[in-house]
Amino acid sequence: MQRRYRSILDLKINESAKALAFSDAELACKLTAMGFLPGARVEMVRHSPFGSAYYVKVDGVRFALREEEAASILLEV
Amino acid sequence: MSGSDVKVHKIALIGNPNSGKSTVFNQLTGLRQKTGNFPGVTVDLKEGHLRFPGGQEAMLVDFPGTYSLYPTSSDEKIVSTVLANPADPYFPDAIVYVADVTNLEKHLLLLTQLLDLQIPILMALNMADTAESMGIKINATKMAEALDLPVLLVSGRTGSNIMKLTLEIEKLLKKEPDKTRRPIYDLSPTEKQVAEAVRLNLNEENPYRALQLAHHHKWFPFLQNQEREVISTIVQTKNFQSLRSQVDETLDRFDRFTPIVQATIQKPPTFPNTTTDRIDAVLTNRWMGPVIFFVVMMLVFQAIFDWSVYPMDWIESGFSALTGYMENNLPNSWLTELFTEGILAGLSGILVFVPQIALLFLLVTILEEVGYMARVVFMFDKTMRRFGMNGRSVVSLIGGSACAVPAIMSSRTIGSWKERLITIMVTPFISCSARIPVYLVLIGLAVPKIQVLGFLNAQSLVFGAMYALGVLAALLSGWAMKRWLHTRETSFLAIELPVYRIPFWKNVWLTVWEKVKAFVVGAGKIILVVSIGLWALSRFGPGDAIHQAQVEAKVQAGVMKLDTIRTEDLIKQRELEASWAGQMGKFIEPVIRPLGYDWKIGIALLTSFAAREVFTGTLAVLYNMGSAEGDINDRSDNEAKATLREKMGRETFRDTGKPVYSLATALSLLVFYALAMQCMSTLAVVSRETGSWKWAVFQFIFMSGLAYFCAWVVYWMFS
Repeated sequence: MQRRYRSILDLKINESAKALAFSDAELACKLTAMGFLPGARVEMVRHSPFGSAYYVKVDGVRFALREEEAASILLEV
Repeated sequence: MSGSDVKVHKIALIGNPNSGKSTVFNQLTGLRQKTGNFPGVTVDLKEGHLRFPGGQEAMLVDFPGTYSLYPTSSDEKIVSTVLANPADPYFPDAIVYVADVTNLEKHLLLLTQLLDLQIPILMALNMADTAESMGIKINATKMAEALDLPVLLVSGRTGSNIMKLTLEIEKLLKKEPDKTRRPIYDLSPTEKQVAEAVRLNLNEENPYRALQLAHHHKWFPFLQNQEREVISTIVQTKNFQSLRSQVDETLDRFDRFTPIVQATIQKPPTFPNTTTDRIDAVLTNRWMGPVIFFVVMMLVFQAIFDWSVYPMDWIESGFSALTGYMENNLPNSWLTELFTEGILAGLSGILVFVPQIALLFLLVTILEEVGYMARVVFMFDKTMRRFGMNGRSVVSLIGGSACAVPAIMSSRTIGSWKERLITIMVTPFISCSARIPVYLVLIGLAVPKIQVLGFLNAQSLVFGAMYALGVLAALLSGWAMKRWLHTRETSFLAIELPVYRIPFWKNVWLTVWEKVKAFVVGAGKIILVVSIGLWALSRFGPGDAIHQAQVEAKVQAGVMKLDTIRTEDLIKQRELEASWAGQMGKFIEPVIRPLGYDWKIGIALLTSFAAREVFTGTLAVLYNMGSAEGDINDRSDNEAKATLREKMGRETFRDTGKPVYSLATALSLLVFYALAMQCMSTLAVVSRETGSWKWAVFQFIFMSGLAYFCAWVVYWMFS
């Protein structure tokens, strides 16, 4: 994948950005159903102790995401 | 159905995870509930009786928490499967939709999907008490109008409006399904074409249900092959992109209900839950998080291991008192023995697990209710995924060091079927408390009491190594199974981390009660049957072998001038040697000889299939100290164990005359007991939890095969 967009993975801790789109249809299906919608404000809260999982806040609701899940959410640059 | 010809109405309780659905379920049904097994899938559905003030009853079914009719786990698939098939035995006459009112903008997607299926439905806005304390204002009347369904504010925790909810459900059941209701979501042109074609071909009235069939035709279990092909052709000719259309539909639905939520719910400007943030800053911290987790798990382990000793002792001494009383007061016949040594021993073997099961579930449910488990999943997801498991598996594995039975039952919270199956398969490798007496006897026999590196006791070092061996076996088999098992199911982490809250105790007690009941009733039956079978094998022998052995033992005891207790011990020993179990021990001797075992160990291996701790008991009988059996299993009685070890040390092979218990044999036995599947309770639970005997049999063969191989290698290396 070309790095023309930023994903959640690029967020620094405590940084937030607006979610724009998903790059994977299956994950999009799962995440939108959970209320994770394009346009939502995503904030990176912390990384998991052993890596590869992320604690994020989406419009104030707390979520844990895996690396590939976080990478599939594209953010406004 | 119990003789009445009145149709019992079925009501489905549906809602998102974290909507507090089970709390509402528990409030509505109390103890009038049971866990039913959903046919075909290995997920349990809870059923409860709902009693209306008029005296009628209805069946309330608690469906797994689900976000959408487009499911991503086997749990979630149940809702879409049942609702797409009006012929399903669980297809509801009415739906009660539970939503968290404090988080409603995320909880209405599934509701709008259910509305389009045209099943009578009402919405219970749960957590009304929390909403009030947060200053959230809800206009339920306006919402009911906008969505065109009855809306009721309730609180599962305080029980407020639950009575009113019951009355509303009764009203709802009298309503006819409204076939003219305008759908919330308008199908796209392609979806319309596909739904129309499916509708005509499968004779399905509702267009949205027809669309569901098109989306899920590949895995819906109720479809005939022919129907599947028809739908498949339609999907292909119309070039229907299922995933794409699912996402578009979801987004469209959000666009439709978000304005309704905004118009009917007023939230104070921002309401960040800073308490949860502050707690999480510590509990999920990079360094502190894992440390705190292990401290918590050590406490859980300590509780199951230590606190349960007292009730377990009461149960065991209660049963042995009862057995003693029966033996003294009932006629001396095989019927009495069947009762005491078969049935009572089996019952005691079942009930002795109850304290551990209850304690583990008490603690795990509290951690779950508080919201901590979701954080555990977050922290350990990566580590456990390497071994084919999931963050939640950590809890099962640690619980397994007390007892595999409750640990396997606690794997139910794992969403992915593959990860759950692997967890179930490898948990029994973790050394449980029943292996301890076996380890102690064998280590005392084989390992000299010397100091290693000046301060470590060689015996405790080996003891620790046994635990390490178990963990290693569990992780490596998990890793191997991950490679070997293929599922179409994609595994997700994506979970909500709920706000921390005080546990709702009614949920905790009901969960503990339900788990204990499931074990006693479900696994108990099997344990009882096997226990009676094993008793029969060691009580009866070919022809009059047992009687002859008895006579010979009496003669020998007379010659040797033994006292009563010694005579009894000798008779017991000779009887067991002559029994079917004894014969089988001799029969399997060639198989176990490569591991360094003689036929007496063979008998002990066979009888300890009932439960590992029986190993020491059987050896006690075989080595002529049956009367001291209880002392040997007593953790603190070292004298009895020492005597047993001494007697075992003098044992020689029948043919070569060499001592049986060399270092190599003892180490090989240790490895065998660490790895082999020798617990019928665990197998019974595994078959219950996986829904078939297939996996229990696989586990038995896999673990015992691995044990045999490793024991052989160890024997070969040390002899």
